[in-house]
This record gives sequence, structure tokens and C-alpha cells, in this order.
Amino acid sequence: MMARYLIRRLLMGVTTIFVTTIAVTLLIHLVPGDPVQIMYAQSQGTTPEQLEAIRDRLGLNDPLPLQYLSFLGRLLEGDLGQTIRGQQPVLELLLERLPNTLALAGAAMVLAVAIGLPIGFLAAYRRGSWVDSTLMIAAIAGVSVPHFWLGLVLMFVFAVNLGWLPVAGTGPANLILPAITLGLSNAAIVARMTRSSMIDVMSQDFVRTAHAKGLPKAMILNAHVMRAGLVPIVTMMGLQFTYMMGGAIVVENIFAWNGIGRLAIDAIFQRDYPLIQGFILVFATTVVIVSLLIDLAYALLDPRIRRSA
Amino acid sequence: MTAFAPSDAPRRTRSFWWRVLMQPAGAIACAIIVLLLAAAGLADLLAPHDPTRMAAGRPLTPPSLAYPMGTDELGRDVLSRIMYGARLTLRIGAIAVGISLVLGLTVGLLAAYLRGWLEALLMRSVDVLFSFTETLIALAFVAVLGPSLTNAMIAVGVAGIPFYARTAYASALSERSKPWFEGAVAAGAGPGRLLFLHLLPNVMPTMIVVATLGLSNAILAAAALSFLGLGAQPPQPEWGFMLSAGRDFFSRAPWLMLFPGLAIALTVLAFNLAGDALREAMDPRSLLREDAR
Repeated sequence: MMARYLIRRLLMGVTTIFVTTIAVTLLIHLVPGDPVQIMYAQSQGTTPEQLEAIRDRLGLNDPLPLQYLSFLGRLLEGDLGQTIRGQQPVLELLLERLPNTLALAGAAMVLAVAIGLPIGFLAAYRRGSWVDSTLMIAAIAGVSVPHFWLGLVLMFVFAVNLGWLPVAGTGPANLILPAITLGLSNAAIVARMTRSSMIDVMSQDFVRTAHAKGLPKAMILNAHVMRAGLVPIVTMMGLQFTYMMGGAIVVENIFAWNGIGRLAIDAIFQRDYPLIQGFILVFATTVVIVSLLIDLAYALLDPRIRRSA
Repeated sequence: MTAFAPSDAPRRTRSFWWRVLMQPAGAIACAIIVLLLAAAGLADLLAPHDPTRMAAGRPLTPPSLAYPMGTDELGRDVLSRIMYGARLTLRIGAIAVGISLVLGLTVGLLAAYLRGWLEALLMRSVDVLFSFTETLIALAFVAVLGPSLTNAMIAVGVAGIPFYARTAYASALSERSKPWFEGAVAAGAGPGRLLFLHLLPNVMPTMIVVATLGLSNAILAAAALSFLGLGAQPPQPEWGFMLSAGRDFFSRAPWLMLFPGLAIALTVLAFNLAGDALREAMDPRSLLREDAR
């Protein structure tokens, strides 16, 4: 059961990455107009002969299947081509920046769980009371505040006005504001998820039985409700992480945090297609691998899955 | 025509809307949405200035009677820009959600109806698209089509398709397993009839809730693209773009930070609350749980 589940997830991940490589090869051909002309529109004085040479170098004159195969071949050698601007190797550039994005997404996730979980649990415990309503109004407001606005406000207050934290850049102190920005937005989602999951568990028969046999309330919450209620929440963590990665793209650009998101937006502006292709591939692969690891951890934690192995 | 197919859809009687409006969430949502529609619909009549006219006032004038939300760095009236921005925002939300809803419903219903290898092909494709994440799909679309507000709407709409398809599929699958569906098949209903007169009306209540919550998601995503410069272009009075254009002037003109952000947050809040209220008013158990997104 567990092996089958994991193999299914693994196949799914491999398919996703495989489809990504096809999508990335096709991408440049879907661009309306001549992609090479668009890419070099910003650099002056490129002659038609030079453009033709570039087209040749990028392999855009070859038949499509051949382009795809040579892309795959180069990919296996770890070569994703070079950026249009600066002629830097795409993969190296992306891998150099990836740890910054992962650090931001990871820190934000820790914050989101640390804030959202207790709030959701408290709301579920005090279900129907003013505590519950207040917390859930706060949560829905939190879901509604755009993270780019929250980021700007935090930056304005804590970095520009109070001067407590650096405005922008990449370093340990610089991580604080972007992580809070991303973490707070997602804490609201975690709180809502936790509440509905805990309420589900609290209304189940085995909890009623525990009450009926006179167990102390704290013990019921600890031993029964918490353990059962956490399972669906952990399942959602993989999805949560993909939200974090997506949100990081925006937040990195507010705080000039040097992750792959910032690189990607610059690449889209400069129409640097090799870099855009590389970004999509690296982003998709990262999301697939991390979701797979989280699923694996969850399968190991949940006795219903682990013991049936 | 669907008399023998008892629908789970609540009848559109006063009591349904009454149940929506009687919840605090529904009432607040309704108030904000009415305000939003008024601002968008009556912008031509009510807006004090042309939203794109530069030097309508001195640049960076603080809020006053003449300029209730102040002026921006080019002397444009912020209130007028917010009002015309409401029009843009509602259009963005409607078009993006329209794309997601129509295509998602088509894929989901077809997969649930056809079964077999087509079902597997459609839903596995949806799974793959889903694991790409909405952000990546939207960014890839903008990267291909180039930055513009129209392209951002398309990108956000396409990015939403996997989620809508999954929800429609799950809902249609549970509907088609009910006895009334077998009854319709036994009565000799053809594919068109089964799909459009039986499955579709029964899937719609769930999809209306999803689309209402989806409006807030789409508006947020499009505003984020515009904020990054990948959506609205100058001089469009789009809220996300206004925030990024004004960010260099926040210390001198905090109102440039306050009003567009507040406008986005309230709009998104309204559709979030409206979705919650609709879900509560319909049968809360048969519908999606709030952790679905």
C-alpha cells in the first residue's frame, strides 16, 4: 500500500517534469512574432545576419523533434544554455539563486505553521464563541490582504520609518521582513485549515466515546484530537509549500531578495527566453521534489499508511 | 424537464438570498460589492477628474476636499483612479474566472461523463497542470504573450483551469452515481441531455461557490502580476500597478500606499465573504470544505 502510493506519486512527479521539458521546448515557438527579434529588440544594432546566426546557435532552425532531443541531451549534461544578456550559463545562475528562494519559502512556512496552527486549534476548541469568531474574522481578513501590499507596508514601517531592519538586499537580517510577509499571509490559510480539520475530528464518534468514558479533557485533546486532526493538515503541507514558492516570486521582487523569482521577472522583462525556460524547469522540478519529500514524511508519520506497508 | 432529477440546487427563492444576507459575512460582502459596482458603474458620473489626466492637481497633494484621496506623483486624482480601477478590477475578475470556469467545467464534466481512457487522459493532464502551480502557469503565459493587462487576465484564467476542472469532476462524479442519473439513462436520455440538463445544473451550485471564491483569487493574482509590471501598463488605473508606481513616494505620500492596497483588500475580502456565505446558505455538507484552496 505504502510502496504503491509512493510509486504512484513518484511516477506523477516524473511525468510532470517530463511534460515540463516538452512545454519549455514549445514555449519559444508559441511567442507571437519572431522570438529572436524580440529577444534582441533591446540591444541596438543587431544585423539580420547576426540574428540568423543566433537562431542557428539556439537550434531554432532545426525540426521540432530534433530541437527537443538536443534539448534533452544537453539537459542530461546539465546544460540549459546561456542567458541572452551576459552570456551566463542558465543552470548555474539558477542553482546559485535557488537556496535563497528555498530559505525564504522555508522560513515563511515555519512562521505560517507556528502562527496558524495554534490559532486554528484555539478557534476549533472554542468553537462558536467570540474567540472563534474574532480569530476567524482575522483569518479571512488575513487571506484577503495582498502579500505585496503587506510587504510594502511592513517595509515602510519597519525599514523606512523605524529603521529597525534593512530595506532590501540579501543577507540574514534581510530575510526577516520577506519571511514575515509571506508567512503571515499563509498563516491565515493554515489557521482556517486547522480549524476545519480539528472540528471534523472533534465531532467524531471516538472523541465522543473518550468523553463518555470520562477521560480528562486535556488528555482527549492531546492524545485523540490533536493526533488525528494533524494528519490532514500535514497532507496539505505539500500544497502549502507550492503556494510559498509562488508567493516568494512576488515577495522577492519587493525586497530585492536574490532568489530565482527575482531572476525570472527580470528575464520576462528582458525577454531572455533561455533563462525563462530554465526558470520554469527548475521551479517545477523543485516543487515536485519538495512535495514528494513531504508526502514521504507524511506516509512515514501516518500509522495507517506506514503499517500497511 | 428535469422533474425526475431532484436537484440539490437551492431554489432561487427569497428565502435563499435571505439566508445569505442574514449572515454577517453575507451582509458585509453585499455592502462592499454594491459599493464596488456603484464605483465602477458610475465612475463617469461621479469621478471628480479624468483618471489619466496629469496635473489635475499639484503632484503629491495630500487628501483634501478637492482631492479626497490626494494626488499621485503625476498630479492625477487618486479617487478617480480608484473608481476607474474598480471597473478594471471587476472586468479582470469576470474574464479570468470566466475562462477558468467554462474550460474547467468542460473538462471536468466530460471526464466524469465519458469515463474510460479519455477520463484518465483528461484528469491526469489536469493533475500535471495542477502540480505546475498557478503562479508558474500564469508567469509562463505572460512570458510567451508579453506583458499586458489582457494577457494577464488570460494567464490568470488559464492558470485556474486545473482547480475548476478537478472540482467540477469530483462533483459530477458524485452526481452521476446517484439513482436519478441512472433513471435518466434508463429513460433513454442522450449524451447532450445528460450533460447539459442533468449533470450541469447539479454541478452548478458547487461551481458558483468556487467561482465566487475564485474571483478573489483571480483579482489577487492579476493585481500581483500588475504590481510586478507584467499586467496593466501606464496610464491604466489598475490598483496593483498604482501600488508599484507609487512605492518610491510612500514616505512623502503615504496615501499612495494606503488607498490602492485597501481597495484590493476590501474587494478580495468581499468575494471571500460572499463565497463563504453562499456556501453556508446552500447545503454546507455537500459542498467543498473551506480548505479546498
